[in-house]
Amino acid sequence: MGFSINDKLPLPPVGAEKKNVTCEFCIVGCGYTSYKWPKGTSGTPKRNALGVDFTRQQPALSGVWASEQMVNTVRDRDGKEYHVMVIPDANCVVNQGQNSARGGAMAATLYNKSSFTRDRLLDPQVYAGNNLARTTWEDARDLTARVLKKIIDNEGPDQVAFKAFDHGGGGGGYENTWGTGKLFFSAIQTRSAAIHNRPAYNSEVHATREMGIGELNTSYYDTELSDTLFVIGANPYETQTNLYLLHWAKNLQGATVAAKKKEFDKGETAEAARIIFVDPRRTASITNSIELAGRDRVLHLRIKPGTDVTLMNALFTYILEQGWEAKDFIRKHTENFEKTAKANKTSLSDAAKITGLKAEEIKKAAEWIAKPKKSGHRPRTAIFYEKGVIWGIKNYENIASIVNVAILTQSVGRVGTGVCRLGGHQEGYVRPAPPKGMPGRQNLVVIDAEAAQGNYLAFFAWGCNPFVDSIMGERLATSFKRRSDIVKKAMSRNIGADNETMAEAIYRACKYDGGLFFIDVDIYPTFKSEVAHVSFPAATTMEMNLTSMNGERRVRLSEKIVDAPGTAKPDCLIAAEIANALKVLYEKEGNKEMAKRFEGFDWKSEEDAFKDGFAGQGAKMDSQGGPTGTLATYDLLRANGNNGVQNPIVKVSNGKLVGTRRLYTDNKFGTKSGKAMFQPTPQPPIPKQVANQMKKYEFWVTSGRLNEVWQSNYHTSRLPMPSTRWPIAPVPINPADAKAKGIKSGDPVMLYNDYGSVRAVAYVTEETRKGELFMAFGFPNSPVNNIVTDFVDPDTKIPFYKGTAASLRRIGRVEDIAGSMSFKNRV
Amino acid sequence: MKDESTTRRGFLKGMAGMTAAVAATPALMASGTQKKDNFYGYDEKVVGLVSRIKSAGSLDFNYPDNDSPCKAVMVNGQIKAYSLLCTHKGCPIVYNASKRAFRCPCHFSEFDAELDGQMIIGQATENIPEILVRIDGDKIIAYGVNGLIYGRESNLKG
Ligand code: SF4
Ligand code: FES
Repeated sequence: MGFSINDKLPLPPVGAEKKNVTCEFCIVGCGYTSYKWPKGTSGTPKRNALGVDFTRQQPALSGVWASEQMVNTVRDRDGKEYHVMVIPDANCVVNQGQNSARGGAMAATLYNKSSFTRDRLLDPQVYAGNNLARTTWEDARDLTARVLKKIIDNEGPDQVAFKAFDHGGGGGGYENTWGTGKLFFSAIQTRSAAIHNRPAYNSEVHATREMGIGELNTSYYDTELSDTLFVIGANPYETQTNLYLLHWAKNLQGATVAAKKKEFDKGETAEAARIIFVDPRRTASITNSIELAGRDRVLHLRIKPGTDVTLMNALFTYILEQGWEAKDFIRKHTENFEKTAKANKTSLSDAAKITGLKAEEIKKAAEWIAKPKKSGHRPRTAIFYEKGVIWGIKNYENIASIVNVAILTQSVGRVGTGVCRLGGHQEGYVRPAPPKGMPGRQNLVVIDAEAAQGNYLAFFAWGCNPFVDSIMGERLATSFKRRSDIVKKAMSRNIGADNETMAEAIYRACKYDGGLFFIDVDIYPTFKSEVAHVSFPAATTMEMNLTSMNGERRVRLSEKIVDAPGTAKPDCLIAAEIANALKVLYEKEGNKEMAKRFEGFDWKSEEDAFKDGFAGQGAKMDSQGGPTGTLATYDLLRANGNNGVQNPIVKVSNGKLVGTRRLYTDNKFGTKSGKAMFQPTPQPPIPKQVANQMKKYEFWVTSGRLNEVWQSNYHTSRLPMPSTRWPIAPVPINPADAKAKGIKSGDPVMLYNDYGSVRAVAYVTEETRKGELFMAFGFPNSPVNNIVTDFVDPDTKIPFYKGTAASLRRIGRVEDIAGSMSFKNRV
Repeated sequence: MKDESTTRRGFLKGMAGMTAAVAATPALMASGTQKKDNFYGYDEKVVGLVSRIKSAGSLDFNYPDNDSPCKAVMVNGQIKAYSLLCTHKGCPIVYNASKRAFRCPCHFSEFDAELDGQMIIGQATENIPEILVRIDGDKIIAYGVNGLIYGRESNLKG
């Protein structure tokens, strides 16, 4: 990193405490091992807990090593200081000892007063006249509960809105989705709910579920056995790194042919995989795949944005015309085939016109996906999609059209196949069903937009940032600020009042003056803290025991290794604090019925929440553990270590949890009839709002992730390497466009349209085409969502984050930005 | 035993959060609080000749010991030198003279030779360590390493 001149790593002594940690970042869920030992003790280069002789240079790849980001010093609540090392686990089948740029820095993200994590939230805070002031848990929860009670009693629970994580990994997990879900859905009973990265409470993959196929149906091992990997709207090198670099890379290089021979049918052709990418942009995944597999085994369908459905329909039609469909499977295990085939009929020439691809390219893709192999066997195609289509022009049809191709070619259930989302976060969902009367997907309320327009009296932003991860970010931020200020004024007028008086003042400001009581739960202060009236500090990975599931449904217990900073607590226990405070208020009032609703939160630890939720509910609740989740315990999960168990759990055998490698091996699908269901998917038109922006503004703007930056950049904007690499969001721009605008790499630029504006730094590169810009997503200091329209798919309420139009203006030159980050080609 | 809050590294890590990272190296070199005969315990070593690098474009050498391959390159009229062991999993990185960047063949991390080894893209958690060199006449002299070399608990073994 350039901050050290021959410093030494601290080494764990033999006998240092050793635990399992699952990476807190992406869906892949790599396994890590932590070591913790008291300051003042140390291993030696020859004798240490790693069992490595550091008097010798470690070999490449197989070597065990900690970079400086993999060690830290912490102070626990016992007042003692400890060294901590967190390194990738060589025995984990997911990552086999390999870290990515994100996961490898987990130790560095731990709270350390003398490091860049020093601004972690330590105690609850309450607005005190001009800023948030630290206070006690009793005070913060009492004030919160008093305001909530007034709203629930007088206005009804739907006036309490919440926006919260629904995922696993850091800031999520089964314990915490359960705790928050139980608070809002069972106790408060509000239907005004939205998920962390979108403005309503919905699945991102309604379509595939309704077609009978859960979105995570294969295993990472199966992707080592695929003949063809078909990747739509995803960039796995940067966002599902170790899945790509270990499992796919091996397959692309032909290193898994022996395993294929073992798993395939007798006489079946077994060769290295080919890979198809559908993406308007050239990505690092494509460049690296060419290096791994050779140019003739990689196909990049550089599609016109928003035309994926047409491409899928054309593939469907062409495969059918060639007779390459899975006839027997379709007859026995699917429904709605004839109707779909008719409705989706799209010729190669029409598709070429709409998608901007050559007919030959579409043909070639169809061949790789479905043309019988040399041996006559059907190719084993694994199909993966992610935000490029999930957040595309129309969520429902985008996904459904992909699943149609999968069903047509029986790319599900068989060895080496699957049709899955690649995933962002890990998963970790177990919640009560929403209260009665929660509308279906087509009538869901777009909570964030409603709140901006004046609806709701209270709003929880729980482990998420609505101004970075929602539609029309700038308008949301402006409106929330205005509504928050109304409450702040009322609070300022009542400084020094007791909580009941203060709660009444807050309630009245919300009810009569258009205010919004804003409760923030997070680990760091963010821009949203500026609108908060109460804030609660949360614990995260490594500071609590946490269970989640990765992209192949692998559940692990990520163990607690350090105390959370200050008095921060796991989210499930924060939810319990609030529920218990409400219970007390209702009991005092003698309202037994309401007090009862807030029962069941007497959890002492996150394990209690796990036992109550994932391991306690089975199929009674919306749980990814399903009916057999009840077999799981912390002890059993701990015993399975970083390899965990793949949902659904089948049984416990000899003290070991046994799970499921791949779903739908029996061709029984999740519909009423048990048959997979085709769905007609016409090409969606460009939404009116977006079309309007296109008429007025010059560039098509899409967005996506950078390898080094995680989610809303909460940790990574603080870590030395990613924060230096990406001080603000880059906007890759084609050299022709840059030239026309007089823009050079490193120039700060402004993107603007009717919805707002955002600053970024120009990155001149061929990765984007002329007329198309790509902007990095999730930067709180340059949120691309400021220029995203308010369009959501009417059928699922999922936004079209990936498509808007904007003009671009050069601001000037800031030499420090231009001189401190590299602008060399990343793809 | 190292204490993050008081060692130079802990201090500088803290600094990095507040000021530009580029400020770190000069500040460190100027502090000069540790009086030592050689720079933080590193031996000085003549690793090659300026005239050679001018004609060949680059120069391979080992530093601070024979297990640590390095390369000096000419960028913008300056000689810069880096460890060749990728800070991800230790594979030997390869110099691309036209891009003035290193690329790792194992998992495709890339490091910018013109920007102190900043990772352009990739899976390492640290930039590539820079070998500190000075010029004495035609001699290129290595005198220190900035950043921990892959596969070591200390740059100076033993
Ligand atoms: S690939 Fe994903 S899960 Fe694995 S270390 Fe990187 S961020 Fe963590
Ligand atoms: S070893 Fe260099 S990128 Fe992995």
